[in-house]
Amino acid sequence: MQKKKNKLLHSLKHLSWGNRINDGWTEESPRPRDWEKMYRARWQHDKVVRSTHGVNCTGSCSWKIHVKDGIITWETQQTDYPSTGDNFPDYEPRGCPRGASFSWYTYSPTRVKYPYVRGQLYELWKEELESAGNPVQAWENIVSDPGKREKYVKARGKGGFVRGSWKDVCDMIAASSIYTIKKYGPDRVVGFSPIPAMSMVSYAGGARFLSLIGGTILSFYDWYADLPPASPQVWGDQTDVPESGDWYNTKYFIIWGTNIPQTRTPDAHFMVESRYNGTKVVGVSPDYAEYDKFADIWLPAKAGTDGALAMAMTHVILKEFYVDQETPYFMEYAKQYTDLPFLIILDPKEGNYRTDRFLRASDIVSGEEHGEWKTVVWDETSGKMVIPNGTQGHRWDQGSKWNLDLTAADGSTINPKMSFLADSDEVAMVEFPYFAENTGGKVQRGVPAKRIKDVSGNELVISTVFDLMLAHTGVNRGLQGDYPTDYNDSNKPYTPAWQESITSVKKEHVIQVAREFADNAARTKGKSMIAMGGGTNHWFHSDQIYRAILNLVLLTGSQGVNGGGWAHYVGQEKVRPLEGFSQIAFANDWVKSPRFMNGTSFFYFVTEQFRYEYDQDEVQADWGGKYANMHPADFNALSARLGWLPSFPQLSQNSLDVLREARERNPDDQAVVQDIARQLADGSLDWAVENPNDPRNFPRVFFNWRSNLLGDSGKGHEYFVKHLIGGSDSVLSDFEQSWQPETINLAEKPPEGKVDLFVSIDFRMTSSGLFSDIILPAATWYEKHDISSTDLHPFVHPFNAAINPPWETKSDWDTFREITKVFSDMAKEHLPAQEDLVMSPLAHDTINEIAQPFGKVKDWRKGEVEPIPGKTMPNFNFVKRDYPNVYEMWTTIGPNIQSGYGTKGVKIPGERVYNDLLNRLGTCKREGIGKGQPDLYSDKQAINAILLMSGATNGRRAVEGWKSMEAKTGKTLRHISEGREEEDYTLDALTIQPRQAISTPVWSGLENDNRRYSPFTVNKEFNIPWHTLTGRQSFYLDHEVMLDYGEGLPLYRPPINKGPFMKGETEVENKEKSLTVRFLSPHQKWGIHTMFTDTDNMVQLFRGWQFIWLNEKDGASIGIKDNDWIEVYNRNGVVVARAVLTYRLPQGIAFMHHAQDRTMGVPGNTITKKRGGTHNSVTRIYPKATHMIGGYSQLSYGFNYYGPTGSQRDTMTVIRPLKEVDWLEN
Amino acid sequence: MAEIFWWVIFPYIAFAILILGSFYRYAFRGISWYAPSTEIFEKRWLRIGSTFFHWGIIFAFIGHVMGILIPRSFYLSIGVSDHLYHFFAILGGAIPGLMVVFGLLVMLVRKLSIPSVQVHTTFAEYYTIILLLLVAGIGTYMTIIFNTTVVAYEYRATIGPWFRSLFVFQPQYQLMSDVPFIFRLHVVLSFLLFASIPFTQLIHMFSFPGRYPFRAPQQYRARDGYKNSRP
Repeated sequence: MQKKKNKLLHSLKHLSWGNRINDGWTEESPRPRDWEKMYRARWQHDKVVRSTHGVNCTGSCSWKIHVKDGIITWETQQTDYPSTGDNFPDYEPRGCPRGASFSWYTYSPTRVKYPYVRGQLYELWKEELESAGNPVQAWENIVSDPGKREKYVKARGKGGFVRGSWKDVCDMIAASSIYTIKKYGPDRVVGFSPIPAMSMVSYAGGARFLSLIGGTILSFYDWYADLPPASPQVWGDQTDVPESGDWYNTKYFIIWGTNIPQTRTPDAHFMVESRYNGTKVVGVSPDYAEYDKFADIWLPAKAGTDGALAMAMTHVILKEFYVDQETPYFMEYAKQYTDLPFLIILDPKEGNYRTDRFLRASDIVSGEEHGEWKTVVWDETSGKMVIPNGTQGHRWDQGSKWNLDLTAADGSTINPKMSFLADSDEVAMVEFPYFAENTGGKVQRGVPAKRIKDVSGNELVISTVFDLMLAHTGVNRGLQGDYPTDYNDSNKPYTPAWQESITSVKKEHVIQVAREFADNAARTKGKSMIAMGGGTNHWFHSDQIYRAILNLVLLTGSQGVNGGGWAHYVGQEKVRPLEGFSQIAFANDWVKSPRFMNGTSFFYFVTEQFRYEYDQDEVQADWGGKYANMHPADFNALSARLGWLPSFPQLSQNSLDVLREARERNPDDQAVVQDIARQLADGSLDWAVENPNDPRNFPRVFFNWRSNLLGDSGKGHEYFVKHLIGGSDSVLSDFEQSWQPETINLAEKPPEGKVDLFVSIDFRMTSSGLFSDIILPAATWYEKHDISSTDLHPFVHPFNAAINPPWETKSDWDTFREITKVFSDMAKEHLPAQEDLVMSPLAHDTINEIAQPFGKVKDWRKGEVEPIPGKTMPNFNFVKRDYPNVYEMWTTIGPNIQSGYGTKGVKIPGERVYNDLLNRLGTCKREGIGKGQPDLYSDKQAINAILLMSGATNGRRAVEGWKSMEAKTGKTLRHISEGREEEDYTLDALTIQPRQAISTPVWSGLENDNRRYSPFTVNKEFNIPWHTLTGRQSFYLDHEVMLDYGEGLPLYRPPINKGPFMKGETEVENKEKSLTVRFLSPHQKWGIHTMFTDTDNMVQLFRGWQFIWLNEKDGASIGIKDNDWIEVYNRNGVVVARAVLTYRLPQGIAFMHHAQDRTMGVPGNTITKKRGGTHNSVTRIYPKATHMIGGYSQLSYGFNYYGPTGSQRDTMTVIRPLKEVDWLEN
Repeated sequence: MAEIFWWVIFPYIAFAILILGSFYRYAFRGISWYAPSTEIFEKRWLRIGSTFFHWGIIFAFIGHVMGILIPRSFYLSIGVSDHLYHFFAILGGAIPGLMVVFGLLVMLVRKLSIPSVQVHTTFAEYYTIILLLLVAGIGTYMTIIFNTTVVAYEYRATIGPWFRSLFVFQPQYQLMSDVPFIFRLHVVLSFLLFASIPFTQLIHMFSFPGRYPFRAPQQYRARDGYKNSRP
């Protein structure tokens, strides 16, 4: 061992002189260098661990986490991404300043280190546990005594947490869940956790628990209004978009309402690099957004008017590339891949016609299997109507013709006729909806039509979708009717001049961009792309805006082409290993039929927003209005009862009791189903959706994990606080003045504080935590194992633990395992195994999607049809709930896997997977029903199970998936992934280096040979149909409700323009100057939702706390200067923030960046004298009935797939200066 | 007895703390050997205060060498009369003294009035500046006011010899018994200041790069020596 140095003597050596040579010019320095150690040690570390950030930013970037002396010190970007090939920009490195600041959280003051319980509740619990003796009874004593309950409910949001022990809080959670299940039913135990892709295993932990006990699992993608309803409408697909690398392949790139450099920071370079490669970039946004900086042309369309701009571009493209001169590539594409050549029945109405439904095989021949689901084209060659392959009917019939080959049954080639212009029987005068000026307006235009005889001899007038599109968009072919004369006709839709007064974009620019976009696509065979996002999607009429924009990519043959098509970026929704994930997360390996509930409807009712609905649109009646004039809550109830939308809680009665009683009365399953259907029909069972104010239907136990529901995504924040939570709110509206539903049973006063126990699981303190009863301390993303994937790149990234979870934190997986264990143990005494009735809607991608033919609304309650479960009302599923064994099931993979599994209609055989799972995960040795099953105890096992079971991460599964598609489509597909059959990703493999996903039929892109992922390339190149009625990309939607809304074809609908208050409501007294603006909440630069907005680095990059951007002239008009405090309010609530004045925004709109959270720097407002407010305090949701359609092909419910979106952007607010800032500190 | 404490024990204790404390800090608290700067928060006032103070203190130091360390006999031998000495001493002491006091006041006000500087100011810094201000203020008062209004005190006969006697370990404390109070206070506070040096940023005065001009332009290390000294 080295002798210990004398430090004093050693340091004095610094003062010594050394030996000199060279006449004193050179010295041999004896002075020590150990002072340098400090500088070297600054960047030394003990290890580097690969992890990522589980945040909904779509980045999913791989990071190196550096650990020093057992402390996480910092993170740097990983640089080892596999190359994308020669002559192509690479993915590495990825990351942004927000992610680089994450390690702050580990040891930050906002870290939740221990389990916390609301003090008042903990006190009650201790007392009751003492006196009652058993936890379930103790919980009952607390919540059934209004005085006791109110004690802690009223304290929510007001601090007062005390530290609890894991054992106590798990006991409370288990006892409350068990009590709720016994008393009200399992569907009153509810969980919300968003975006599984950002950390799948953490999501799966809670979802698996809820699935096993029969709890309600809420959707998020539609609730966030990130789901573009146009995608299922047009493609029958949730969302499928190109990875960012594919931007480099495009030649003409319109960026339309998605702020790529700001919100897709690690990917933006592909867009910039494509410009070096000659790509033209066009920006469309109301403000001078960051992406406009990169644009060659900026089209400053007013907020919410994008649909008008897109319709005018559609007009230009149709006129110049279809009518004036036919573009061969476009025509071929339209005939094979779109519904443009399909035949539509014209419905005579008061001397005019209106477009009705698609002509079906069953209209023209009899005996065709599923003929009412097979649509028809006119074959130019034979001059007859033919039924092409690939329609919805072909998908579910016995044949193997579900493909897009243009061959008739006799083998001849079909040449679908696009237009009857040349040989029409008559020019039918058709009324088209035109709602730009007033809702319910219409225009009449001549359309070439044919007259045919249907199978029963009636005469039908038909036309093609193409002919109707031309007439609808105003492209004149010399036909009579109200057509515009030319582009400069500013009075008639949808010319470039017409849109000018709406969007304020110059008509010359519209013509130029539309022409260039299509011309580029014609030359490059479809390499024209449009990136779109929140700016165009979060509107009430989002689906119409999107369909109008999608016209452009469909008409130019750009969809299904690398470098072309839509590129919609909103949420990180792509779970690449989807097949395996769905099994693990929703416990399909043990039980079927999880209770998937659409978030929008759930929160609409639970937060009572339906009772504060704006007044009705009075003029819609001119067009139709049978459904358009229904209160959204009434329509939602109709939708639930017809089996369209899910509805959980489902019945006012306990689903366990309902089934048990029905079983006692009836001999077999069939009879039980009929019994329950009869009870529903005669009204002896009540729909929960029709009785939302009945205390039996309140959500009683609420789990909120991986989410800041209340501080971030709770649109209508103040309604959440008032009605769900029961805290102090700032709701300023008056339900007595609001539009009330007719078929919903209402309490005199909307109930408040509905939830008994609100549990949050998080690693940091957020607004959600502040309003919770229990907060469980979670491990951060650097302290657990998990996986993440995204749309934006083809890699699946692992999380790894750089340190063990510190203090008393646990990973979400372990947390739910603990809860499950305590729950099971308690259930052994209090909750025996029993059977549960689950009523699930008619689901997308199942045979149920052809339950209700022709898209006509038939209500069994009115006697229009028989109440038949799975046909005219929801499916009834009987599920065994083995409550005492929930833990054994949760921790093992169940036997159902052996009989195969799949998703989106793709089937993977199970025997082999099951054996592989046994080998890879090990066999469970714990006693109980799980013994001998594959072991799923730890997060690492869950990860490897998901990877092994999914095609994107396991070549064998991919090939098996393709094989399963071959039978139905009659196509050879297995070769797509055969070259990668041996590839088998595990957690360890992904930790060594990122790997590219494997092509699988679950997704529609092709990724072989280093090809960039682009959606629907499978459909286009292998003639696989889309999951739509025609099997083609849809311009026309023929459901009765769509037609009633005037939305059969894409059209422009203006944003809702309701004032900040309603007539009759008491408005806030306002003596000072004020300003009414449209309130927008786009994503920010200094955080990802509320995440990162509180780190030191991000707070210092801009101003920190909450702020609102305004035009400087708007600011001056009410006498505020930059950084002044302002108050923003409307009927929904009030928020206080500071103003940022800028010339970057036009007048009349305000940006309050989404989710800055109210945990720091929030003074009181002057209206209610309450603290706070978030960006969502002044918003609320506007559910749209057309999203609630179900049981009809692509318009069928799927979890996060279709359903009403929680759009909130149509909000108007008042802004006024806040003279006195009161911090409410007394 | 009090005389022995103030003029023998106290000075030696102060010197001992200065020397041992400085070595200790040099050897064991090397990283703290600095004068933390707040220039990044405020430049204008610092530039004024710091410049006046530092130039003033350098000339004041030279003045003290001339008055205390160099004996009166030396001046007489080269023909500098007492009158002439005092004339120049008062003039040459007044200007640096005023510079130091002015510089210190600017720095103190700056530390108190500018919030970002204030939060970065430690107790030790306030202590140092206030003590320096007392010592320098009294010194300047003595030079300008006391010398011109009461008496041009001949400290070269009392304080000078006493101070030099400390270094030969023959302390002549009796010399201090008739020194005016104001001079005695100046001396005592100065020794308190010396004792404070190891604990404050005053330590940076020893980092004056006096060696640098004499450093060999080419520096190298023997490989073996380097290997051994490597941590």
